[in-house]
Amino acid sequence: MQHRRGFWLFVGTALLIMAAYNLTPFFWMISSSFKTDIEVTSYPATLLPQAFTTAAYARIWDQEGFVLYFINSIKVSGGTAVLSAAVGIFAAYGFSRFRFQGRTALMAMLLITQMLPGVLLVGPYFKMLSLVDLYDTHLGLILAQTSITLPFTVWMLKGYIDTIPVEIDQAAMMDGATRFQSLIHCVFPNVLPGLVATTVFSFLLAWGDLLWALCLITTPEKQTMTLGITNLVGQFRVLWSDIMAATVIGCAIPAVFYLMLQRYLITGVAGAAVKG
Amino acid sequence: MIGERWTAYWFVLPGTVLLAAILGFPAIASILESFGLQGGAGPAGGYAALLSDAQFLTASFNTALFVVCVVTLHIILGLAVALLLNSQIRHLWFFRVVAILPWTVPDVIGGLIFRFMLDPLSGGVNALAIRLQLMQQPYDWLGDPDWAMVSVIMAETWRGYPYPMLILLAGLQAIPKEQYEAAAIDGAGAWATFTNVTLPSLMPMILIAVVLDVIWQCRLFGMIYGMTNGGPGDATQNLSLFVYRQYFQFFETSYAASAAVVLAAVLLAVAVPYIRATLREKD
Repeated sequence: MQHRRGFWLFVGTALLIMAAYNLTPFFWMISSSFKTDIEVTSYPATLLPQAFTTAAYARIWDQEGFVLYFINSIKVSGGTAVLSAAVGIFAAYGFSRFRFQGRTALMAMLLITQMLPGVLLVGPYFKMLSLVDLYDTHLGLILAQTSITLPFTVWMLKGYIDTIPVEIDQAAMMDGATRFQSLIHCVFPNVLPGLVATTVFSFLLAWGDLLWALCLITTPEKQTMTLGITNLVGQFRVLWSDIMAATVIGCAIPAVFYLMLQRYLITGVAGAAVKG
Repeated sequence: MIGERWTAYWFVLPGTVLLAAILGFPAIASILESFGLQGGAGPAGGYAALLSDAQFLTASFNTALFVVCVVTLHIILGLAVALLLNSQIRHLWFFRVVAILPWTVPDVIGGLIFRFMLDPLSGGVNALAIRLQLMQQPYDWLGDPDWAMVSVIMAETWRGYPYPMLILLAGLQAIPKEQYEAAAIDGAGAWATFTNVTLPSLMPMILIAVVLDVIWQCRLFGMIYGMTNGGPGDATQNLSLFVYRQYFQFFETSYAASAAVVLAAVLLAVAVPYIRATLREKD
């Protein structure tokens, strides 16, 4: 298509407006995190820090225990992602390569479970975990998060395995490989990029969660990032520079991961919704 | 293949058993609880009480208003940005990165950033509005029931719109180039091409984006919890927050479960056409 110069000027301007809109809250967050605790509560607010300081980061990292929350979040999100991927790859292979009785019903259940609201499950979950002594443990939280990540992991991985020709499995099995071996040696290497993308999505979904951590964790030392940040606000004195520094740290990991996965975002997130 | 009849089950078994334990069991427990089987108002007592509970009705209304506004804005903004990103302009990678950034923010963090931006004393919005002489005094936006709702909608509009945008962008990229070429040969202008080629081809994707976004927004918890905690009063309390409060603060577990089941039923009703279409398309 041929377009006139006016068209490109319009597109460029519109994109710049979009960028300004998207970045303004980030600018405010980062700018505030480098202000002193006096400046951040001063009136009227300043645009850029008058006296640049990293004191807020030092405070939350050491005194408020965010180094611990950070590690907890990595542990919980990592555990969730690995558990979902490990169990999910087998189920996805089963759904992709076999036609068996109850298959459609199970796949429908997988889709339905992705629609359920967290608040429906979190109450009974709380009681269930108390019964088996997993309340207020990271393992309990990992299992809870897996109930959200596993259905979409299976669904996405099935989509990826569907794109790998069945002939690859068949050739391997002609040579005497078992189903399991053909999954490990033939399908697995081909599906690896998709598996990585899916695993990172699970990780990020768990990372962003507040509801489950809020309801299933009570010990301060076991808090995740999001819960720690939320409780920082609940305290008597709201110190916005500290909270903004904490949110910068809480945003950094997802932002970096998503940008690395940019290539997969359209085919992954949208593709999962679109291609099923 | 011979002797493979049971192999399939071995592959799907671990996942199915795990899901039954961590998802099926709590879901069923929740439904049973909602009927008050552990004593209380008797079967379905919780549901009857919901209908005369002003707080529940407010939360339902808030959820509906919030979802309608947010999803509408998401689709408009998402479509606009998807169209821009689908053009062949230079330095597109930069805009592509920036376009998805808000969505990478955990929702509770998004809520906190906006809460601070709207802070009556030291927030950026008041400072900017006063400098631009739009108002004389700083205003407590989140302390005003109406403005609090507007603010929460604005915040989630910002944070969530890249999700439908990505779905729509995938849809745009799937439209065959020939259709545009045919329109160009017919001498169609930009607007005519958009309404006659782009929009009809994109319609299925728009519907998918609407359904999935409605489901996300109905379930939203962290953003509102962090930004207003449902306040002032219950002006921004949605159903997720209502259930959480009833269960974990008032310990009305059976009652909370009834409200949660209602929310789940609404979400499933919204999702049924999507689920059926997805299953049919796949096999």
